[in-house]
Amino acid sequence: MLPPGQALDDLPPRPRVLLVDDDEVNLLLTAAALRERGFELTEASSGSEALSLLSTRTPDVVVLDALMPELDGFETCSLLRATPGFESLPVLMLTGLDDEASINRAYQAGATDFFVKSPQWSLLDGRLRYLLRSSRTRLELERSKAKLARAQDLARMGSFEWWRGVAGSFVISAEGLRVFGRGPQDRLDFIGVMRMVPADDRHVFLRLLRDVIAHTSVLVTDLPLTLPDGRQRVVHIEAEPEFSEQGAVSGYTGILQDVTDRRQAEDRIRQLAHFDALTGLPNRRQLIYRVERAIESARRGGHEVGLLLIDLDRFKVINDTLGHAAGDELLVEVGRRLRGCVRHSDQILEGVLDGLGNRSHRGLEAVGRLGGDEFVALLPEVTDERDAERVAQRVLDALREPIFVGGQECFVTASVGIALYPRDGQTMADLLRNSDVAMYAVKSQGRNASAVYSPQLAGHGKQKLELESALHKALERNEIVLHYQPKIDVRAARMVGAEALMRWQRGNVLVPPADFIPLAEETGLIVPLSEWALKEAARQAKLWSLQFGFSDSIAVNLPSRLFERTDLVEHIHQCVSAYGVPHRSIQLEITENNLMKDLQNVIPSLHRLNEVGVEISIDDFGTGYSSLAYLTTLPISEVKVDRTFVRDLGITPQSSAVVTAIIALARALGLRVIAEGVETLRQMEVLHRLGCSLMQGFLFSKPLPADELERWIAQTVLPRKAPWITQADGSSDLARGQR
Amino acid sequence: MTAPHPAAQLDPEAIRRLRELDPSGGNKLLERVVTAFSNSLDRLLPDLARAREGDTLDLNVVRHVSHTLKSSSASLGAMALSARCADIEAMARDGREQGLPEQLDAMLQDIQQVRVALAALL
Repeated sequence: MLPPGQALDDLPPRPRVLLVDDDEVNLLLTAAALRERGFELTEASSGSEALSLLSTRTPDVVVLDALMPELDGFETCSLLRATPGFESLPVLMLTGLDDEASINRAYQAGATDFFVKSPQWSLLDGRLRYLLRSSRTRLELERSKAKLARAQDLARMGSFEWWRGVAGSFVISAEGLRVFGRGPQDRLDFIGVMRMVPADDRHVFLRLLRDVIAHTSVLVTDLPLTLPDGRQRVVHIEAEPEFSEQGAVSGYTGILQDVTDRRQAEDRIRQLAHFDALTGLPNRRQLIYRVERAIESARRGGHEVGLLLIDLDRFKVINDTLGHAAGDELLVEVGRRLRGCVRHSDQILEGVLDGLGNRSHRGLEAVGRLGGDEFVALLPEVTDERDAERVAQRVLDALREPIFVGGQECFVTASVGIALYPRDGQTMADLLRNSDVAMYAVKSQGRNASAVYSPQLAGHGKQKLELESALHKALERNEIVLHYQPKIDVRAARMVGAEALMRWQRGNVLVPPADFIPLAEETGLIVPLSEWALKEAARQAKLWSLQFGFSDSIAVNLPSRLFERTDLVEHIHQCVSAYGVPHRSIQLEITENNLMKDLQNVIPSLHRLNEVGVEISIDDFGTGYSSLAYLTTLPISEVKVDRTFVRDLGITPQSSAVVTAIIALARALGLRVIAEGVETLRQMEVLHRLGCSLMQGFLFSKPLPADELERWIAQTVLPRKAPWITQADGSSDLARGQR
Repeated sequence: MTAPHPAAQLDPEAIRRLRELDPSGGNKLLERVVTAFSNSLDRLLPDLARAREGDTLDLNVVRHVSHTLKSSSASLGAMALSARCADIEAMARDGREQGLPEQLDAMLQDIQQVRVALAALL
C-alpha cells in the first residue's frame, strides 16, 4: 500500500541510485550529474563491491556498467537477481552505442533496461525516472495480482483458459487448481477434470460444451464433481470466447468457483419452499405442482390420475387433550405411515419435466400435507377407481396400529375421499374439491372409511353446506325456538317439570332436531345453541313462575363438550341470575352415551353443578352399556328410561325386566326414575305398576311452544279431563307408598 | 603559428557540460575529474605497455583499456582521442591486429596532447 497522500506515480523525493562503474572518470561524472538532478548516489567501482553494498542497503535502482574487469555487469546482474528480495529491483545496464551483443546479454542477465552511455545527463535522468515509475507500477500490479489471488482463494474461485488448436493449452490457475483440490504444482488437464464428474453429468456437460463452442456462445453452468479426497463439490463455470484479430474464435477464458455452499443453501431454501417443515412431506405448493404435471401427463397419455384426500378423524380432540406437541408428533408419524402407502418420491420437482422419458409422471407419486390434519396422496396413473380404493384401504390399514404420543397410545382413524381425473375433474382445484365432498360423505357416515366421489354426494354436500350456513344465521335471526314437553307425575296427575327441546323455525318449515342437531354438533354450533337454550329456559322458568306459579325445573339437553367447558357453571349462574330464578330451575340432561364417552372430563362439572343446585338427568338410560358401578359415584339425580324399553312394555317380557331392574337400581341409589316416550295408557299402567310414576310422552303431550303448554295446562291438566288422568287416579292407591 | 594537434582540442560543449555540473566550482569537480582521468591513465597505460611486450598482443587488455578511455575521454571533451579509442576497441573486439600497433602509438600521442589541454583548463 502506498502511504497516504502519495499518488501512484509519485516517486520518492530523492530516489536512491547504486552506481557501479570501474571507470573512475565515468563514476565521478555520472554520480555528479545524477546528484545534480536530485538522486541520492552510492558509488561502487566493481561488481563485487556493489553486491556487498546491496546487502546493507537497498537502492531504488541500480545503474550497472556492462563491461568491467573481473565481475562484469552481466554477471553482477545475474548474481543480484538470484539474491532474495532483488528479483524485481530495477537494473539499468550501461553499454556502448555500438555494442548490440551487450544489449542482448543485458536482458538475458535480468537487466530491466539498457542505456547507451552518453554525457547528455538529462537522458539518463529521464530513463531512470521512467524505470522507477514502471517498477512502481509493476510492484502495484504484483501486489494487486497477489490480492486478487487471495480474494479468489477466499471466494474459492479460480480462472482457466483454453486456446483452440493448441495442445496442452487448457491451463487452470493455481487458485483454480485449489478449487479442484489440487496443489499449485499439480498438473490437471481437461480430461483430469472430466474424470471427477459423474458419468451422467459429464455427458450433459460435454454436450453443452460442444454446443457452446459451435455457437461461439458464453458457457455458464454448474458442474458436480467428486474431488480426489472423496468430497462432493459443485463448481460454477463461466467462460467467454476470445477472438483473434481476424475475428475468429481463438479460445475461451473464464472463471470457476466452488459454489457447493451456495447450492446447499439454495437446496435448503427450495426444500423449505416445497416441503412441509413438520412432516417433511411435499407441501401444498409442491402438491399443486405435482398434480398439475400429473394431469398434463395424463391428458397426453390418456390415462387416469387418482387424488386421495386423507383427513384424520377427531384430530382436534387429540390436539386439545394431549397438547400441540403431541399433536405434531402424531402428524409426523401419520406422515411416515402414509408415505409407505405409495411409491413416494421426495425429489423436488419444479420447472419443466423433460428428458426423463414418457414414464416420468411416475416420479410424481407422493403423499403430501395440505395443512392441519389433511393429507393428499397423488397417484399419477391409475387403471380405475378400484386402484385408488386399494391405496385408500392401505392408508386406513396403515393407521390401524395405535400411535404412541404424549405418553399414551392413540388410535387414529382417517376419512379418505377419492377423485379421479378426468372423470371427477379437469383441474387440481376440481379434483381437490370433489375429493373433499367424498371425504365429507365418509365423515357423515361414521368416519374411518373411504369413498369415491360421485355427483350425488356433491348434491348432498351442497344441501348440507346451505343448511350449515343457514344454521349459522338462525340464532341471530331468532329462528331457533324451544318447545317444551311436560314431565308428568301420574299419581298426582300433575306436571312436575318440562324438557326443553330445540326447534328450528326456518321460514314456514319447522326443521326437525334430527336434521340439524348432528350438523350443529359437527360444526361446533351446538355450543352457542346450547348456551342460548340455557338462557331461554331460565327466562321461560321465570315467565311461568309469574304466570302460574311454576316452581319445578326445565331440563335442557347438553352435549358432553359443554360439560367439558370450565365456564359452564358460571354461564348457568349468569342465566338464572339474569332472570332471578333459583339454580334448580335449570336441570341438565346428558345422554348416557355422551356421559360415558367423556366421563373423566365431565365428572368435575357434574360435581360443581350439583353443588350449586343444578340437577343432572341421564337421558336414554339403559342404552349405553355403561358400568352400573359408575352410577354410584356420579352426582346425578335422575335417570330417564330409554323410549325403546317403554315402547316394548307389555309386548316383550325382557323390556319390563330391564325397566324393573332400572327402577330397583335407581331406588337403591336414591335416584328419580322417569320414563320417556310413553304413548299409550297400557305403557303408563305397566310403568306405574312397576313403580315408575314419572313419565313423559305423547300420551300426555307432544313438545309444545311455551304459550301452548300454558293453554294445555289450563285446558287439560287443571280440569282433569284427559283419559290418562282418570286412569292415573284409579291406580293412585297402587302407586302410593312406593315412593 | 602552427595549427594545434587535433587531439589537443577539447570539445567546448563537453567542457561546458562539465562546468554545469559544478557551476560554482565549489566541488572542484573539474579538478577531481582531471585527476581521476590522470589516475586512470596511470593505471591503464602500464597495463597496455605490458600487453604489447610479449610476442603476441593481448587483445583483451587492449580492448579494456580502449573501452575505458573511449568513454572517459568523451566525457572530458577529448573527442579525437575518444574516436580513436572506439576504432581500437572495435579492432580488438574483431581481432583485427593489422595496423593496431600504429593506432595504439597514435593513441598514446593523443593522450599526451589531451593531458596538456586538460592541464591548461585548471
